Amino acid sequence: MSSRAAHASVYDQVVLITHSYLGPAANRFIARQVTNHLHKAPGDLSPADLLNLTDWIRVAVSLLTEDSNIVEEYIAELQKLALSYEKRKR
Amino acid sequence: MMPTSKSARSTLRTMQFCSVMAVLYIGLIFVLPVNHATMQHYNLSALEYRIATAAIALPTIAVWFAAFWGYAKLREYSQAIAKTAEGPHFAKLGIGCIWLAWSLPLTSIVSSVLNGIGNRWQGFHPSAIIITNYVALIIPLIAFVIIGLAARDMLGKSRLNLDIPTARLTMVLFLAGGLLYCFLVFRSLDLTSLGSTHNSYFLPAWLMIVSVIIPYLYAWCIGLLAAYEIMVFSVNTPGLLYRRALLYLVTGLVAVILSSIALQYINSVVPRNGELLLNYRLLLTLAVRVVSGIGFLTLAIGASRLKKIEEV
Repeated sequence: MSSRAAHASVYDQVVLITHSYLGPAANRFIARQVTNHLHKAPGDLSPADLLNLTDWIRVAVSLLTEDSNIVEEYIAELQKLALSYEKRKR
Repeated sequence: MMPTSKSARSTLRTMQFCSVMAVLYIGLIFVLPVNHATMQHYNLSALEYRIATAAIALPTIAVWFAAFWGYAKLREYSQAIAKTAEGPHFAKLGIGCIWLAWSLPLTSIVSSVLNGIGNRWQGFHPSAIIITNYVALIIPLIAFVIIGLAARDMLGKSRLNLDIPTARLTMVLFLAGGLLYCFLVFRSLDLTSLGSTHNSYFLPAWLMIVSVIIPYLYAWCIGLLAAYEIMVFSVNTPGLLYRRALLYLVTGLVAVILSSIALQYINSVVPRNGELLLNYRLLLTLAVRVVSGIGFLTLAIGASRLKKIEEV
C-alpha cells in the first residue's frame, strides 16, 4: 500500500480498491453498501466494519457478475485491507 | 436515484408509443392508395399487394421495438446516474438514441403517407420522393450531432486523446466511402445541366450537392467520429465490471450508428422510387435494419447491466 493510501480514510481505501472493478460507479456503490447495510454515513466507516462490509459487498458483486474469479479477487483485496488494520490494532 | 417503478412506467410508455406507430404503419398500408404499376408488374391484386407490403414491414417493425427498448433502457440508466459527473453525458447520448430510434418509424410512416398520396395524384410523386429523402437525412443528422457532442464530452471529461493512427485510418475509410458515394450519386445526375431535375432524386444537381450530398457526408463524418470516440472512452474507462457492461452499450451504439449510416448510404445511392420492389436493395436494407435492431438490443443489455451496478 502506498504512503498516500495508508493515510487515506478507511472509506477512501475501500473505494480505491473498488475503483479497479466498478470504475466511476465505485464511490456510489460503496456509499450505498455502507448506508443501506451498515446503516452508517460513509464517512463514519471504521476498520471494525470492514469484515461485515466485505460480506455485503460479496453478495452485491455476485449479483453483478457470474465470474467467481473476479469476485474472489476483489474480496481478497478487501480482506487484505481489513487484515492490515487488524495488525495495526495489535 | 429515481424509483424503479417510475422508470419502468416510462419504459412502458415508450413501448406503447412504439406499438401505436406500428399499428398506424400497418393501418396505413391497408388504407392508402396502392401503386398500380407495381401491382401489374408482380401480377397482384390490391389485397395481395397490401399483404405483401405488410409482410415486408414486419421485420422493420420488430427493429422499431428493439430501437425503442434500447433507448428506453439507456434513458433509465441515465436517469439513475443523473446527479453524477457522467450523468449529463449519458443523458445526451440517450437523447441522440431517441432521435435515431424515432427516425425509423417516422421515415417509414412519412414515406408511406407521401407515396400513398403520390399513387393517387401522380403529380405529387416527385414531392413525395424529395420530402422523404430530406426526412431520412435530417433526423439522423440531428441524432449524430447530439451523439457526437456526448462522445466529445465523455472523452474530454476523461482527459483522453484520440489515437492518431487509428483516427487517420477512420478518416481515410470515410474519404474512400465518401468518394465512392459521390461517384455513385453523380452517375444518376445529369451533369451536363446543373439545373436539370430529370433524375431519380427530382432535384437539380447543384441543390443535390448543397442540400443532400454535403449534409450526408457531414453526418457520416460526425457519426463515424462519435463511434470512434465512444469506443476509445469505453476501452480506457477504469473498472473491470463497469467496463464490461459499458462495452455492451458501446458495441450496440456503434452498430446502431454504422447501420444508420449504411441505411442512408443505400437509400441515397439507390434512390427511393416509392414502389415496392423485391430486389437486392430491399434485401440489403432489411439486413442492415436487422443489424441495427441487434445493435439496439445490445445497447439495452449494456444499459441494464450498468443500471444494475447503480442499484445493488
